[in-house]
Amino acid sequence: MPEGASLGDPKLKAESARKAFEQEFERFARFRAGVSAESGLTLNSAEALERELSELRTRHTGKKSELASVKKLIGRVAPEERASFGQLVQQIEAEITRGVEEAEAALLAFINDARRERERIDVTLPGRRPRRGHIHPVTLVRERIEDIFVSLGYIVEDDREIETDFYNFTALNIPENHPARDPLDTFYTTTGLALRSQTSTVQIHAMQRRGVPVRMIAPGRVFRRDTPDATHNPMFFQVEGLCVDRGITMAHLKGTITEFVHRMFGPETRTRFRPSYFPFTEPSAEVDYSCFKCGGRGCRICKGSGWIELGGSGMVHPNVLSAVGVDAEEFTGFAFGLGIDRMCGLMYSLDDIRLLFENDVRFLEQFN
Amino acid sequence: MNISYNWLRELTGVGLKPRALAERLTMLGLAVDGVHERGDDFLLEIDLTSNRPDCLSHLGVAREVAVEHGGALRMPAAVPSKMEGRAGDFTAVEIEDEDLCPRYAGRVVRGVQIGPSPEWLVKRLEVIGQRAINNVADITNYVMHEMGQPLHAFDLQKLSEHRIVVRRARSGERLRTLDGVDRELQTQMLVIADASRAVALAGIMGGEETEISNETRDVLIESAYFDPSSVRRTARALGLHTEASYRFERGTDYEGVLRAQERAVALICELAGGAATEDAIDVYPRKIEPQRVSLRPSRVEALTGLRVETSEMRRILSALGFIERAQPQTFEPEPSLRDGVLEMMPAGLHTTLSFTSPTWRVDIEREEDLVEEVARHAGYDGIAALLPPTASAGEYQPREIKKRALRRQLTAFGYDEAINFSFIESTSGERLDPIPKFATLIDADAEEDERAFVTLTNPIIEGMTRMRPTLLQGLLQSVRRNFNHGTRNVRLFETGIVFAARKGEGELPFEREALALVATGGAVEEGRAGDARELDFYDLKGAVEAAVDAMGLPALSFAPVSARHLRVGQAAVIMTGGQTEIGTIGRLSEEISAEFKFRQPVYVAELDLAALLEQKETPALYTPLSRFPSVVRDLSLLTNRRTSLSEMLAAIRELELENLSSAQLVDVYEGANLPEGKRSVTLRLEYRAEDRTLRDEEADEMHTRVVQKLAEKFGAEQRV
Repeated sequence: MPEGASLGDPKLKAESARKAFEQEFERFARFRAGVSAESGLTLNSAEALERELSELRTRHTGKKSELASVKKLIGRVAPEERASFGQLVQQIEAEITRGVEEAEAALLAFINDARRERERIDVTLPGRRPRRGHIHPVTLVRERIEDIFVSLGYIVEDDREIETDFYNFTALNIPENHPARDPLDTFYTTTGLALRSQTSTVQIHAMQRRGVPVRMIAPGRVFRRDTPDATHNPMFFQVEGLCVDRGITMAHLKGTITEFVHRMFGPETRTRFRPSYFPFTEPSAEVDYSCFKCGGRGCRICKGSGWIELGGSGMVHPNVLSAVGVDAEEFTGFAFGLGIDRMCGLMYSLDDIRLLFENDVRFLEQFN
Repeated sequence: MNISYNWLRELTGVGLKPRALAERLTMLGLAVDGVHERGDDFLLEIDLTSNRPDCLSHLGVAREVAVEHGGALRMPAAVPSKMEGRAGDFTAVEIEDEDLCPRYAGRVVRGVQIGPSPEWLVKRLEVIGQRAINNVADITNYVMHEMGQPLHAFDLQKLSEHRIVVRRARSGERLRTLDGVDRELQTQMLVIADASRAVALAGIMGGEETEISNETRDVLIESAYFDPSSVRRTARALGLHTEASYRFERGTDYEGVLRAQERAVALICELAGGAATEDAIDVYPRKIEPQRVSLRPSRVEALTGLRVETSEMRRILSALGFIERAQPQTFEPEPSLRDGVLEMMPAGLHTTLSFTSPTWRVDIEREEDLVEEVARHAGYDGIAALLPPTASAGEYQPREIKKRALRRQLTAFGYDEAINFSFIESTSGERLDPIPKFATLIDADAEEDERAFVTLTNPIIEGMTRMRPTLLQGLLQSVRRNFNHGTRNVRLFETGIVFAARKGEGELPFEREALALVATGGAVEEGRAGDARELDFYDLKGAVEAAVDAMGLPALSFAPVSARHLRVGQAAVIMTGGQTEIGTIGRLSEEISAEFKFRQPVYVAELDLAALLEQKETPALYTPLSRFPSVVRDLSLLTNRRTSLSEMLAAIRELELENLSSAQLVDVYEGANLPEGKRSVTLRLEYRAEDRTLRDEEADEMHTRVVQKLAEKFGAEQRV
């Protein structure tokens, strides 16, 4: 049928659609193998290209495309050629799709990379957090001491800071003429009361409140008339310990202090008990522990001796027990008093313990 | 106490090296603080405990060292080479006040030649840090360091009527002491006088007028026992502390008086020539009875855990100078049950040993003292280290766990924990309103002596006589100090006792635990320089609220208040349970800021922590989660600036709308485009029914009532 030829050969039309696509696609074809860094594309131009590419695809494969109208010509193709015509059209469609998709994938990959790059952050900038405050070093040490003794079965006690003569001295077997009572050493109020010069006062209160057996520690503030200097403050913190029961001996004192020192300063720390004197204990012992800095070889911290004084201790004096109505024949006990500030000063190598109560933020910031 | 190693070695014959000896002494309770080489000798510095004045001498220390070897000492010879006449031929001694001087012995050496001491003596004194003066003075000093008995040498010819009277000073009496100071004496002070005047401060220092000089021919050597507290009182009163007073006030050996005198007199004859009297005038009206003590050997183990043979106890005590009195008495011990096992005491422990204490041991009073003597010499090193047998449950202070939460929370909010002295300057803190509990006690409008401050009589830092009625004074000073060091961003908190006096003689003052906070400067971020913004009232309030929350306590409420130390319009009272006032919070007033020279706003709060902690914890209670959606309406109102948020919320609550589930602040806006004195407050109201989905009309109806209520009550206009 001659009209068929005049309407144009569908195969030629298909080839013409292919050509038209190839012509327009030419500027995208170079992206098919991937967008190289040298492509000169920016994020914006790549996004524009990607949009154009997607339009191009619609134009050449959409319902209104040339290829779509070519497909409709299948009816005019001789039946024996329909199969090969169909194949051709499909092939062209596949070529277009593949070309566009490859270029598109490459562009999108480039675009995604570029977007991530734009949102790259400096992970080394400081995290967002308000400045943290700090617990006072004396509190840190006190809490640690409390934790250790609570785990050893001790009750934590405290009481008044302004005391009567009875609690501060008499009940502790400190005689009338003892230098500790002198106003040179102890602070007095205008009404004749004393600022407690040791937390041993709490021993007395605790035994009166709880009776015996008792096992307690009393951390707290104490006052002595020392002129402030690098190693003294007129106010400091102390922890008093007391264990009264039947059959308590100095061996238990030694065991308890040794256990404490191991937990506080490490299991390699050694202790030394040497005779000493305190009015409220008899026999009395001064406790030293091997220097945590040099391990006992001798250094600046332990002043070359290898030992650091921990505090005083001993067996509770019978006069102290009888002051609170405890039978010293039936009950025995040990007591000890350790300086918290002193421990604190040594642990943190403070060269001037006045810093403890000056509350200089630059100082407080150093402790955790 | 300074000890010469060579000297000690002469007395003991013990050949320990200096450092080993120092170690031995330390473990006996005579703590050696330092060992220093001094030529061919060594100086041992002993830090003696106050109970052992018997060791304030080489002999005393030697006695301790020698115990291990049976206590034998090489006592120096003490027989004068030349004796003639009786002491009574040349002098007389009278004690008027024997309560202060139980014993006084005088002995004379005539015809001495005053001059420098021989080299060995000078050297020995130098090793222990003593300066040589002349032979007689050096000998008295030497014997004191050897035997512990302070001695004094008078120029006999300068004593009026050549005699000694021991008496209290007369009223208005004066004495020029050896240090060249003219002193006015008080009538309770004991002096050594001659027939007409005081010539020495008993047990402390001699007088200049009767001092030994190069012309002195005849000397009177004084050896005495003075009442320790009398010497202590006089030395304190005069601020005059000497080697002699140091020993007398701790207690000397009343039976060693003649021995030391004889030793000194013998040395004088040997080194300065002259002839000693054959005897001394020894006035000792009432013999002092030595202490008797007994020891049940079983008590040694009961107290120390040490197992020591009774024979070893006897050996130690005897070497220390204890004399066993009678045959030991046996007693029938009560069977003791320990761990359910009948403990059999070893033979020999059923006894009581009875001793006479050596007269130089002023510290021995009772059995426990003997236990310590035995344990010291048996060695504390031999005591085992055991934990007490039965366990009990440990327990923190009832409020410690809460206080730990408080501290952790406040540090999380940027506050550093401060600790200040408990005493403040006497004139400070008066304009800082105290916690409500103290408000009526420390009324700032009352007369000075009416106010219940606790005052110290003997401050150590000048002017610091007031026990703090508030923690704020210390914290503000800390802020000042930080500013001085160039730190302008300061946030601090402190917990501690504040004090107020209780009326009535001898009444113990109130002690109350308080919490105070101070904040000033910028809101600092960790790791970044520069301040994002300046802190304000709400930062401090937020920290306080967060702390209360962290302790699990019910929320606080706040209301405007006027407080002396807080700026008008930025001050609030803090309440628990909606009505109990427990503290204040606000911006520091202009006056107090000026006092501290603060040039930036400072915010402060102080709370009665004890009252806060008395509250019950808020229990966690589960409320079923609603299955129905809520209707949320925002409401912007133009209100008077002085209408507070809490008033508005209270008004809404008054409506008692069943289905109003929450009303919260969104924002407050104040700005130029609003009329003077007005602000805009935006609230978010959430309506929800428990059992169904609320219809819009229902929510609208409630919302309208809210708007009407606020309009009626506060004249609030809804902004569109």
